[in-house]
Amino acid sequence: MKSILKITALFLLIGFSACKKEKKDPDPEPETPAATTGVLKVEFEHMVYDTINLAFNQKYVNAKGDTFTVTKLKYYISNIVITKNDNSTFTESNSYHLIDLADPATTLLSIANVPFDSYKSISFTLGVDSAANCSGAQAGDLAQSKGMFWTWNSGYIMFKLEGTAPKSPAPNHVIEYHIGGFGGANKVQRNFNFNFASTPANVSSSITPQIHLTVNISELFEHPNLIDVTQTGQYSQLTAGAGSKLFADNYADMISFEHVHN
Amino acid sequence: MKQTAIIFFLLGVLTFYSCKVDPKIIEPLPTGNLVEVVPDGWPQPKYTFSVNTISEDKFALGRALFYESMLSADNSVSCGSCHQDFAAFANAEHAVSHGINNHNGNRNAPAIFNLTWHPYFMHDGGINHIEVQPLGPITNTLEMGADINPVIVKLQASSKYKGLFKKAFGSDTVNSQRMFRAIAQFMGLMYSYNSKYDYYKRQENNVQLSDAESKGYNLFIANCNACHKEPLFSDFGFKSNGIAISTFYQDSGRAHITGLPQDRYKFKTPSLRNIAKTAPYMHDGRFNTLNECLDHYANVKPNQINLDPLLQNNGLPLTAQDKQDIIAFLNTLTDYKFLGDKRFSDPNY
Repeated sequence: MKSILKITALFLLIGFSACKKEKKDPDPEPETPAATTGVLKVEFEHMVYDTINLAFNQKYVNAKGDTFTVTKLKYYISNIVITKNDNSTFTESNSYHLIDLADPATTLLSIANVPFDSYKSISFTLGVDSAANCSGAQAGDLAQSKGMFWTWNSGYIMFKLEGTAPKSPAPNHVIEYHIGGFGGANKVQRNFNFNFASTPANVSSSITPQIHLTVNISELFEHPNLIDVTQTGQYSQLTAGAGSKLFADNYADMISFEHVHN
Repeated sequence: MKQTAIIFFLLGVLTFYSCKVDPKIIEPLPTGNLVEVVPDGWPQPKYTFSVNTISEDKFALGRALFYESMLSADNSVSCGSCHQDFAAFANAEHAVSHGINNHNGNRNAPAIFNLTWHPYFMHDGGINHIEVQPLGPITNTLEMGADINPVIVKLQASSKYKGLFKKAFGSDTVNSQRMFRAIAQFMGLMYSYNSKYDYYKRQENNVQLSDAESKGYNLFIANCNACHKEPLFSDFGFKSNGIAISTFYQDSGRAHITGLPQDRYKFKTPSLRNIAKTAPYMHDGRFNTLNECLDHYANVKPNQINLDPLLQNNGLPLTAQDKQDIIAFLNTLTDYKFLGDKRFSDPNY
């Protein structure tokens, strides 16, 4: 009897230890390896007329000469790629950022896991790639609850600016630009690529470089398409299509590179 | 002593047994009836649950949400209000949906089943993925009239939903992705493939079609199958079938989404499965009976804008007897197993 018990106990022990081995223990590393990656920050500073910081509810004049204010500004920046001096690249994973001027923290992006190196340029897309537009319910900045997804005609609103203009014929003289459309001739994603000229961004254990970009909202109303807030489709543009493309062609040169802080 | 030994022995066996269990199936398993289905001979579905792994708890959450009136602005309307199980999840005796504040919508609530094969949703195909489909009716001001964030706040404040979300997703956080995936799981697992027609095709249970049904099937193949294509009984295309535009709704159909003149008055081909149970018919529910539908197809006014070429020649050449035979066949498409499936009924009753 006693021996059965002993055998069973042994059996049990082996059983448990076998289990332990099967578990994927996060083997405690004796030493943490030296970090090889750091952080790169990208600041989006919002302007009007190239020189004045954009603020909500302030009166500005657009290229046509019409007064307007801004009450909401949200847009997506995605697919961030930075290029090293040797032309190899680092691509941010899950690279989707919703910039919302009402939440200043969102205007400063932190790109993590960037290998220590010297980087000479950055590229990104204003908007969201077509795959993400067709992949169902998303989380994080792409969540359908962010107010940037059309409910009746699936797809992201890539860029949203709302405000007022006294000459707008809409109720309460609002202007509303919800710019989207992810495929075909009228797609509204626009790519940007900036070289840092003589000052590369040096990501290291002691340096978190910050790339300073400016976003000039005046550009939305001019070049190549002069926007007239009295016109249909130009005080309110809420669907994908040719009307949206008009604004996308305008914001294609809205963002400029200023400098890199190392 | 003996007892202790036996207990020890059993414990040892159990320990080994638990070791052998594949870690993938330690999670609570569906009882076996919540599984992805692709009946023999059917095409591959568009939606495969690969990022929305099937579990009983997710399904239960989706089921609760489907019948949850908190999804509407004033807590009066749920998905189930207009998608009734006994009507194959269409809306019995409602030409168009009845929404909050006594609003009437402008389209007929479509039936729900076999959605994983649909490349897009709604009569105009405007919604491109099953997971984001509920956004349409939830935010439509004539239907549930809600914004998604207040809905999330309401659910997050409910101890019932905190518990259901925790069971389904491991934490009680309510967010739009979890909500939509749970609902997609519930709707996506509504399969209908056990009608008399299916048993006949699979040669199961010795099921035979009657003379009328058999004649109707042949007529169906000759006249209807081009658009209402077997086995799903839809080609998921957009067609104008020549029912004149409603001067009340002025619904441009597919063109509402594409803006293209060649898409005006075209609507997504609905499946004809369970068609005997989903009256009224057409995108605006204008016909109450299958007789009216067949009468229309047998006499289509030519030269209408974007009328489907197959209907140009005054419609389909059907005699009165042909129409009755086709209806006899359409009645074989009713899936009583699906209609009576309690897994899909309102859990509150």
